[in-house]
Amino acid sequence: MERTVTVVPEAGLHARPAATVVQTVNQHEATVQLATDGSEPVPANSMLAVSGLGVATGEQVRVIADGPDAESVLDAIEAILSSPLEEE
Amino acid sequence: MTDERRLLEGIGVSPRVGFGTGRWIGESRAETENPTTDEVDPAVEQSRYESAREVAHDSIDRDRKRALERIGENEASVFEAHREFLTDPQLTDAIETAIDDGEPAPRAVKSAFADPIEQFETMDGPMAERADDLRDVRDRLVRTLEGTDNVALESLPSGTVVLAERLTPSETARLDPERVAGFITQTGGRTAHTAIFARSLGISAVVGIEAELAALDGEPLLVDGEAGTVIVNPTRQEQRMATAGVAQTVRSEPAETRDGQEIEVAANVGTLADLEPAREHGADGIGLFRSEFLFLERTDPPDEASQRTAYRQALEAFPNGRVIFRTLDVGGDKPISYLDMPAEGNPFLGERGIRRSLEQDRDLFEQQLRALCQAGGAVGDDGGTLSIMFPMITTVEECEAALSVLADVLEGLSETGTPAARPDVGVMIETPSAALLAAELADRVDFLSIGTNDLTQYVMAAARENERVAGLHDPLHPPVLRLLEGVVADAHEQNAWVGMCGEMAGEPRYTPLLVGLGFDELSMSAVSIPEVKDRISGIDTAEAEELAEHLLECHTRGEVTAALERWSAGVQEGT
Repeated sequence: MERTVTVVPEAGLHARPAATVVQTVNQHEATVQLATDGSEPVPANSMLAVSGLGVATGEQVRVIADGPDAESVLDAIEAILSSPLEEE
Repeated sequence: MTDERRLLEGIGVSPRVGFGTGRWIGESRAETENPTTDEVDPAVEQSRYESAREVAHDSIDRDRKRALERIGENEASVFEAHREFLTDPQLTDAIETAIDDGEPAPRAVKSAFADPIEQFETMDGPMAERADDLRDVRDRLVRTLEGTDNVALESLPSGTVVLAERLTPSETARLDPERVAGFITQTGGRTAHTAIFARSLGISAVVGIEAELAALDGEPLLVDGEAGTVIVNPTRQEQRMATAGVAQTVRSEPAETRDGQEIEVAANVGTLADLEPAREHGADGIGLFRSEFLFLERTDPPDEASQRTAYRQALEAFPNGRVIFRTLDVGGDKPISYLDMPAEGNPFLGERGIRRSLEQDRDLFEQQLRALCQAGGAVGDDGGTLSIMFPMITTVEECEAALSVLADVLEGLSETGTPAARPDVGVMIETPSAALLAAELADRVDFLSIGTNDLTQYVMAAARENERVAGLHDPLHPPVLRLLEGVVADAHEQNAWVGMCGEMAGEPRYTPLLVGLGFDELSMSAVSIPEVKDRISGIDTAEAEELAEHLLECHTRGEVTAALERWSAGVQEGT
C-alpha cells in the first residue's frame, strides 16, 4: 500500500525528520520505500537514501509500504512528516 | 612572521567578536591516506569495524546529550542523524564488502564514505550539510580504528582561536565557550550545523576564509563573526573593543508589548558555563536552573559548600533579576550512581523529582535547600532574587510537605545565626494533576512554572522520546492549551505569577499565543531570547488575547496550527 504525504517540517526531509523516519521504519516489520515526483523509490531504512532525496518543506513524498506492519508504519511516517515541530 | 596588521575576509556566522591566539588543529582528520598493510585478516578487520561502530555509537550518544544540555534540542538532533548514518545499511554493506575483499577496516570506511560525501558536497543548501554529517561519522569511526584521537578540543587554553580547514558538528559542540575566543575555518557556510552550534554556544566564528590558515598558528587574531572578518595583529584599541563586544541585536532591557505590558524573558541553564551566554543573550534572569549537573558524573553527592558556591555564582550573574533554582529532579531515566535507584518499568511514572526528595533523598533535599538559602543570604542585595521551585508535584500534600521542609531548614539556619535568604517559592506544573490543582497550589506558593514538555507527555499519554507517537507530543493539542489557560487564570486569581520553562516558551511562533494566555514569564535556551524579546515588542496584548481565545475554541491540533498560521500571516500583512 502507499500514501502521498506533504512534508511539513521546516527543515524538509533532513536531519531530524529524516532520522526519525529511518528509526520508525526500523521499528516496524515492513519494507518501506520513499519516492518523489522525479525519483525512483529508495529504501526508507537508509539515512543516506532518505536524505539523498532532497525533499524540502511543502513538497510531496510518496510512501510505499509492504509487510505485516505496512498500515501502521504508514500512519507513523505520515504523523512525522505532517508534524511542524521537530521536538517539543 | 611580521607584526603587520592584516585583514582577511570570510563569512561571519555568529554575531560576536573574539580576540585570541591562533591554533591550527589541522586538516580534516581522516582525509589522509594510510599506507597499505600486507597482512589483512578479514575476520579480524570485520570485528574491529563492529567494535568501532559500537564505540562511535556511544560517543554520538554522549555528544547528543551534551548538545541537549548545552545547546538545544534542535541542535542535538543532528546527532540522531549521525546515529542513522552510522548504521545505514548502504554504508555498512559497502564497508563490510570492502573488508571481505581484503581491505583494512579504516580504508574500507574511508572509501565507503567517499562517494556519498562527494555527492552531497556538490548539492545545494541543506543537502551540502549532509556531507559534514557524513565526514563527522566517518572521522569518529576512523579515529577509533586508528587509535588517533584528535586534539583535545574540550581543554584548549583560554583565549584560543581555533584554526581548521573545517570543523565537524561534533567538534564544534565540544568547544568550550569559556576558553575558545573564536574559530576560523576555510570551508563552511551560514546555515551549516557548525555555524548554528557556534551561534548557540556564543562563540565568534568566521568561515569560508580562503587564506592559508596554518600560517596563522600562534598569531594574535581578532575574529569578528558579525562582519565576517579576521584581523591579524589587531591594534590595541581593536583588542579592547573585541573583549567588550557583543551582538547589537541583543536587548538587555526587559521586553514590553506594544501596549506596555512587561514580560519577563529568562534563560534555562544546565551548567554554570551557561550563565554568561544567558546574560549575553539578554536574559532578564534565570527561569530554570537545572541543579542536576552538580550531582551527575560523580561517585558521591556534592558537599554543601560547593553547592553554595555554584548557587551564589548564579545569583551574582543576575543582580537585578530573578534566579529560579529547580531542586534536584532525578528519576529512573537519569540515574545517579550513589543514589539508590532501582530500575522501574516506567520511570516517568515512578519515583522522581519531589517524590524522591521527600522520601529516600530527603537528606540531600534538605542540604540543597540549606545551600540555596545560605547562598541567597551571602549575596544579599548584590545578587538576584532567590527563587526555588519543586519539580514533579502532583498533590497539595507534596507541596505542603516540601514547604515544611523548607520552613524547617530556614528555622535551623536562623537558630544558628547563619545568614540566609527567604526564597520566593514555586511549583512546577508538569502533571495534569498539578495543572488541575493550580488554584490550590498557587494559594500556597508565590509562583507556578509550567514545564510543557512533561505536561504534554502526561496529558497526551505520549512519551517524549517515542518517535512513533511524536504527532501526539505537541502542546498545540487543544487539551494542553486548555490546561495552560486554566493554570494561568487560577494562579492569577490567587495572586501568584505564572511562567513557562518548557521548549514551547522558546518558540517565537508561539509567543503571541503565550502572551495572550497571560504568561508573566517565559524561560528558554539563551539562544532563543533575542528573537522572543523582539517578537514580544511587536505584540498588542488585546490582539494576542483574542488569538488565544480563538485557539482555545479549536477542536483539533490541525485547526490550532492553521489558525496560528493565519494569524501570523495576517499580522505580517497588517504591519
